[in-house]
Amino acid sequence: MAANSIEVERFTKKYGDFAAVDDISFSVQEGSIFAFLGPNGAGKSTTINTLCTIQDKTGGTLRINGNDVTERKAEVRRDIGIVFQECTLDQKLTVRENLNLHCDFYDVPKAEVKERIRFVLDLVDIEEWKDAPVSALSGGLKRRTEIARGLVHYPKVLFLDEPTTGLDPQTRASVWEYIRELQKRKNITIFLTTHYLEEAEICDSVAIIDHGKIVAHDTPYNLKKQNTKTRTRIATSDPAGILRYCAEHSLAAVGENGGLAITSTEIGPVMDLVALFKSSILDLEISKGTLDDVFLSLTGKEIRN
Amino acid sequence: MRAIQAILVRNLIKLFRDKMRFFFTLFMSGFLLFTFSFVMKSAVAGLAHPMNYLISGIVIMMVFQSALNNSMGILEDISSGFMKEILVAPIARWQISVGQVLSSTVIATLQGVLVLVLGFFLGLRLDPFHFLLMVTLMLLVGLTFSSLGLYLAALAKESTTFQVLISVVTMPLTFLSGAYIPTTVLPSILRPVVYLNPLTYATSMFRYAALHMESMSTAELLKSGVAFDIHGFVVLPMDGVFITLAIGAVFFALCVRQFRKADFSRVTVFKRGGHR
Repeated sequence: MAANSIEVERFTKKYGDFAAVDDISFSVQEGSIFAFLGPNGAGKSTTINTLCTIQDKTGGTLRINGNDVTERKAEVRRDIGIVFQECTLDQKLTVRENLNLHCDFYDVPKAEVKERIRFVLDLVDIEEWKDAPVSALSGGLKRRTEIARGLVHYPKVLFLDEPTTGLDPQTRASVWEYIRELQKRKNITIFLTTHYLEEAEICDSVAIIDHGKIVAHDTPYNLKKQNTKTRTRIATSDPAGILRYCAEHSLAAVGENGGLAITSTEIGPVMDLVALFKSSILDLEISKGTLDDVFLSLTGKEIRN
Repeated sequence: MRAIQAILVRNLIKLFRDKMRFFFTLFMSGFLLFTFSFVMKSAVAGLAHPMNYLISGIVIMMVFQSALNNSMGILEDISSGFMKEILVAPIARWQISVGQVLSSTVIATLQGVLVLVLGFFLGLRLDPFHFLLMVTLMLLVGLTFSSLGLYLAALAKESTTFQVLISVVTMPLTFLSGAYIPTTVLPSILRPVVYLNPLTYATSMFRYAALHMESMSTAELLKSGVAFDIHGFVVLPMDGVFITLAIGAVFFALCVRQFRKADFSRVTVFKRGGHR
């Protein structure tokens, strides 16, 4: 089993009496993509800022690669790369100057600087912009520059705080392409916060946070399996027979638009039903729950408001 | 060392990229120099080295104000978000402060030297030794006031607050330093403030160097207002080096402390998404 890159135990952060993060614990396996999912103000950025050593905790223990984030700040800072929610590039410098500066800050061996910059520029596909001042770049290009910068010192853990917020769908898709490309080429741990459910869908594990508490933490598949129901819609020539079967086997079924809709937690009983009524079934549609449903069932509200 | 150098180089690149700002700060000094050179050279003033007298005052004020104002840079970094990039980097907080103070000192000195050079065209006479002495003093004064400026900036965290702080600090420091009003005419109740003011010593060192006062006796120096008799303890112009350095060191230590404890992560003007 792989080791944990990030370990958080009983982390609490209070602003006065208000607990922005209230006693949360979780860990992230090395080399995996972890998503922190939650509505605005749930405590996502507070957790990231504390893990990144720029905010102090009120209580608990947070470790990155075994280093405590409050006691061994220098080691933690060396091991992580961060792409913040807001743009943190120097707008007056060019893309390359920003990357160079970053290499100086992280003490990247001088002989490697050129090669590494070429590698990250290629990774996010922005070579042609390398001599442009950052202020002249579009939002998507700035984002890519920041991702490149967050990677140029070869961090072990990359934090992405809402990496695609404010980007158009096309750019969002390409940012994700770069993240996955990266995952393939370098085995680094990625910690991201998002409020786009489709982005959380492709992560290895997802923690749902609401009002400063983690309400669930599992793989997207398990989260859906445990918190949502499978919906099966059947168009049939024998609705009465199927309804009777459902009643006998305690399956929830209702008539709907001339067909039947069955909701169940397990797929097994539905399969049995389908096998038995094979000849009378005209059409069949099985849909699994989405993370939206998971979120709704766990927090009682929609994630986007 | 590499991080300090990187911060310095970055700030210099930005300075030369922002040519407008650079030249307009120089323009002010050039203008003062040019107009006052006529006044000083007229028979009314009757000074032995009118240009030297004038230059020493203008240069010191230039370095003083430039050093204080250069710290505005970190406020821009805070509001543009770049400060976060610096704060999460594996650089010690004192290195960040050194990098900033050094940048600000170098820029202030550079501007001071340019004013000196301008002075040569208007009749300033300085031998190489005194020229170098003045440049060294500029670096020293630059270090002290850059530290003060950086401390105020780290304390203020916002440019509007900083502007207010700067004007509150600049006025008394300027008028109680002997740069414009001779300290000898000030009432004794203000004396302690004069003696605590780093600009007092900066000004007197500058005058001493610019006006070639090495041959003067202590009594004469006291009378010219470049040496001070603090209850029987005589401070000679060049003792100011240590006093200025000491005051600078205090503010530098305060800066490092402020950088260590201040939470700049919550001061952000520009946000991309607007989520927290």
